[in-house]
Amino acid sequence: MTFSEYVVSRWDTLSLAAVEHALVVALAIAIATAVGVGVGLLTYERPKARGASLTVSAGILTIPSLALLTLLIPITGLGWGSTLIALTAYAFLPIIRNTVTGLSGVDAATVEAGRGMGMGAVRLLLRLRLPLAWPLILTGVRISAQMLIGIAAIAAYVDGPGLGSQIFEGLSRLGSVNSLNATLAGTLGIVIIAVLFDAFFSAVRHLTTPRGLRVRP
Amino acid sequence: MFDRDPEGVRIELRALTKHYPGQPAPAVDNVNLVIPAGELVVFVGPSGCGKTTTMKMINRLVEPTSGEIRIGGQDVLSLHPDELRRHIGYAIQQVGLFPHQTVGQNIALVPKLLGWPADRIAARVEELLALVHLDPAMFRDRYPRQLSGGQQQRVGVARALAADPPVMLMDEPFGATDPITREHLQNEFVKLQKQLRKTIIFVTHDFEEAIKLGDRIAVLKDRSHIAQYDTPANILANPADDYVAGFIGQDATLKRLALLRVADVPQEEARPGRELPRIAADATLREALDLMVAHGTDRCGTPSGVLTYATLCAAVGSSAVAREEVVAGDR
Repeated sequence: MTFSEYVVSRWDTLSLAAVEHALVVALAIAIATAVGVGVGLLTYERPKARGASLTVSAGILTIPSLALLTLLIPITGLGWGSTLIALTAYAFLPIIRNTVTGLSGVDAATVEAGRGMGMGAVRLLLRLRLPLAWPLILTGVRISAQMLIGIAAIAAYVDGPGLGSQIFEGLSRLGSVNSLNATLAGTLGIVIIAVLFDAFFSAVRHLTTPRGLRVRP
Repeated sequence: MFDRDPEGVRIELRALTKHYPGQPAPAVDNVNLVIPAGELVVFVGPSGCGKTTTMKMINRLVEPTSGEIRIGGQDVLSLHPDELRRHIGYAIQQVGLFPHQTVGQNIALVPKLLGWPADRIAARVEELLALVHLDPAMFRDRYPRQLSGGQQQRVGVARALAADPPVMLMDEPFGATDPITREHLQNEFVKLQKQLRKTIIFVTHDFEEAIKLGDRIAVLKDRSHIAQYDTPANILANPADDYVAGFIGQDATLKRLALLRVADVPQEEARPGRELPRIAADATLREALDLMVAHGTDRCGTPSGVLTYATLCAAVGSSAVAREEVVAGDR
């Protein structure tokens, strides 16, 4: 069976796995963005809390994904639950780091001008700091998404959703008829999802970056 | 917010002190100063002398440790800081325009905070852009990044003036521009202030700028101690001590000449015959002296007569003996 015949014959399975793969990554990114940006907002002006949040999220990232998924099985079982939790945990570092860097990187004189004109702390955050930090925050989200798309393949190990199952299938039946086709289909699917995600974030960045930050002098 | 009499509001600082925790000495120590309504007072002193800190206590970007600030009789420390700041214009060296907003939106910031209706804000933005010599149609929808340094500083001044505050605080607002642009902005600002008569505190370390802009100058030394507080002419003529004299530099007399205009001093009747170099009535006496030296003469023609070297000397209070010598030398 050629690769294209394989893809055609397994189209239903493959397309479902691809959709699930994208979905679990999207969900994890959504949760991690909500929580991570929140953590960034709360900690960017408090050096100790900021350091702690960055250390913890960096620490999580050093746990091998296979180990983290295994450790989660007794708590959240096999499947979606463990996959979602592990992926969300991995997504924090780039999001928190970029949020903190973006918010504290806003030009001090601009913030002082805002304060001097009578903008309160909340207004300064929502009207000045957040719009100026937004492109950097979005970059953090984008990096996290790219990372998770790869990591999500491992989720098949705990019977999670996604294209990882194709890769594992190929691996477990190495040498058999379709092992190479399965691995190739899984890998190619992941690459396509990654490209689509990147295109999506590129469009979001273009649409949401304030025009004043895009114009050339 | 402040009681305005027709001339504007006056600012009083009483025993104003800022002591940062953990510092051995206060940054600003017991400053007492009255800034008359409608005057532009320049705080001038070396960097680190506390002039900016003193200024920032007035809009409470720095909270005083002790002392009192009154603007138009109103106790500033009893007001909500954000509310207070919306009624005090604030312009700084780095300008600090919001890069994600257009020039128009930047200028509209304080009026919006004050809840002005949209049509009034739009009209005010037009008016202010014209006031700082930027064509509203051309600049209103541009972004700060598309402006030159000088244009940004103009927008910064327009933004500070937006809600027509009676008081303005300006921290080296022309400092970040090249000398030519700076001089241009200063000249425009002098004209603007003649119309507006705001009560302005202007911080700089540039004594030339202080002389040029100030109705009065407060020469500050360490911890914001006031070495001298007087008009530019009086400070140049009678510096209070060596510190002030050092700040003025070696050419105090030339600086005093620069404060006076040709039209301000008496002129002799023009006699026909000798061709004299001409000078305009609104030129400074310093420029007149320059012209005389350049032409090797002791007099120059003005629209209303003849200005002599002796008049220049008399204008700065020096004796006429010098005149005889120079005149003799001239012949």
